[in-house]
Amino acid sequence: MTVTIAAPQAVSAEKDKDPALIRWLIFIRDRGIFVLWAVLLIAFSIWASPYFASLDNGILIANAAALTAIFAAGIAVGIICGALDLSIPGTAALAGCTCGWLITHGTPTGLAILVALVLGGFVGLINGLISLRGFNPIIVTIGTLSVMSGAAAGIAGGYTISGLDSLVFMGTDRFAGLPAPVWITAALFALLTVFLTRTRDGIRLMAVGGNPEAVRRSGIHADRYKVLGFVISGFCAALGGLVTTALVTEANPAANVSIIFNALTAVALAGVSLAGGRGSLPRVLVGALILGTISNALTIKGVSPYWATATTGLLLLGSLALEKWVSTSVSRRLVQSASASVHTGTR
Amino acid sequence: MADNALELRNIDMHYGYVRALDGIDIAVRQGEVLGLLGDNGAGKSTLLKVMSGAHQPTSGEIRVHGAEKTFGSPADATHSGIQMVYQDLALVDAQDIATNLNLGREILRRGPLGWLGFVDHKAQRRRSTAELEKLGVRTAAVTRPVEMLSGGQRQVVALARGATRVNGEQSGILLLDEPTAALGYEQTQQVQSLIRRLADQGVACVLVTHNLPLAMSVCDRIAVLNRGRKVADIPVAETENDHLVGWITGARASMFATASEAS
Ligand SMILES: Nc1ncnc2c1ncn2[C@@H]1O[C@H](COP(=O)(O)OP(=O)(O)O)[C@@H](O)[C@H]1O
Ligand SMILES: [Mg+2]
Repeated sequence: MTVTIAAPQAVSAEKDKDPALIRWLIFIRDRGIFVLWAVLLIAFSIWASPYFASLDNGILIANAAALTAIFAAGIAVGIICGALDLSIPGTAALAGCTCGWLITHGTPTGLAILVALVLGGFVGLINGLISLRGFNPIIVTIGTLSVMSGAAAGIAGGYTISGLDSLVFMGTDRFAGLPAPVWITAALFALLTVFLTRTRDGIRLMAVGGNPEAVRRSGIHADRYKVLGFVISGFCAALGGLVTTALVTEANPAANVSIIFNALTAVALAGVSLAGGRGSLPRVLVGALILGTISNALTIKGVSPYWATATTGLLLLGSLALEKWVSTSVSRRLVQSASASVHTGTR
Repeated sequence: MADNALELRNIDMHYGYVRALDGIDIAVRQGEVLGLLGDNGAGKSTLLKVMSGAHQPTSGEIRVHGAEKTFGSPADATHSGIQMVYQDLALVDAQDIATNLNLGREILRRGPLGWLGFVDHKAQRRRSTAELEKLGVRTAAVTRPVEMLSGGQRQVVALARGATRVNGEQSGILLLDEPTAALGYEQTQQVQSLIRRLADQGVACVLVTHNLPLAMSVCDRIAVLNRGRKVADIPVAETENDHLVGWITGARASMFATASEAS
């Protein structure tokens, strides 16, 4: 077997391929978080043996991570398309209370859920349209956060709406052994991942987050996709609010701002750049699972939950450093081999 | 002059109180490369932005193939067959070359998935590879994210994005703002031959550059701007370096000086 090793200069290979080292570095950057999770799982299996590595505990982790993951999906889509949506807790509370109010006033459960989800998308639409007017999205969504939690309290009359037993099918019920929130999360992530990577609108949405000017110059109405990002984010928030409500069968009008921090940690762990335009939802899902895994293992070992928070923070900083290192090494290698990259092809 | 691909008549452009363009008449024919020279701040970029619909002139007339047009946005200009390659390349860094080249003209899959808006990535990659080949440029693999390209490669991708879009219609117009500013010698040569090839295929090109030798070798005709006015417009064959430098710096009198301007 003859192996021809082409020098970097002789770029005449039929298939243009990146050098192996670069492909490896890109793999670490894109898939590193999966490796990290695998390492954590193995380490915890040994450390917290025998309670950690069981199917039941795995389901427990998935269930605990589900809510964080749903909100993280909303945050991630917002950031990918260029805006941090802080109104998520408010939208979640509003969706839960609206659904609860409708159910207690005799609306069929399915319709109540639908109304709440549409309402979430509508809040996103408003956020998007206001932000397009040139206002800072962070401030705008802080504003809508207050408006939404106020509205939620108004609907609920200041109290929690309890007795929402018809929602248990998306809360504590299990299907094929898995809790409903796990199914919902899986479906949401599958849908959004396919949307962002395979469809025209999804790809344009990501492009708008990366460089709105490039999209505009391609003759596309970039603004529509900005708004679409907010709408998806609002939808995810409403879905998260509904699952929260379903888990405890009561709707709480108080917006729980700490969801933002958990979700944002998962998103950042997944390497979704705050500058927008990049990120992948499977990584965000794993980010949420890592948070769930850590707090689960520490709980099993009886370690104080404060340590879980601290560990997560350290992990976050470590992953930032890794990403930085990988991207600088990649660009250094590429610049080295790029001098012969433009070729006048005369075939 | 019926065969003018793009013609501007008496264009004025103000930025607030700054008069960036002052009564510009300029035209470029199909298959012609028009060089646009001038000192910094002469108004070259502004003129190109007027041509590309990015800015609306304060007054004046724009004609594409003889028909008067008003460009409210770059999209309008794009619809008239005008493509601009900007100094800031405006590429989507996180996406690969193929996605960048296909943005806004995506190929959808056939059948039900296509109705749902699913993109045919394979077909897009094939088309991009073919288009780059037709242009005679080789960058990296079209699946390489743009952020992992060198400056020269990025410039080539930005150029190719504009070129592939005007190349479809034979009546295309390509506007280039300093396409070689960031490039080394060899890459400049390649961009130069790419521009020449496009012109030979019938594309009308307007090239803004500071590189006088490049302008002399690639352009058919050169126009010089000085403080927002056109001071020269002459076939390359009928001029020389020194004259151009004189017009650029203002040392040489305008070809178009009239009594009303002498004050
Ligand atoms: N956005 C702007 N706002 C105000 N003035 C501008 C703007 N862009 C350009 N100018 C002014 O218009 C004149 C022409 O600028 P420009 O077209 O960029 O020149 P060139 O590209 O030839 O260097 C300059 O005096 C510049 O300061
Ligand atoms: Mg300029």
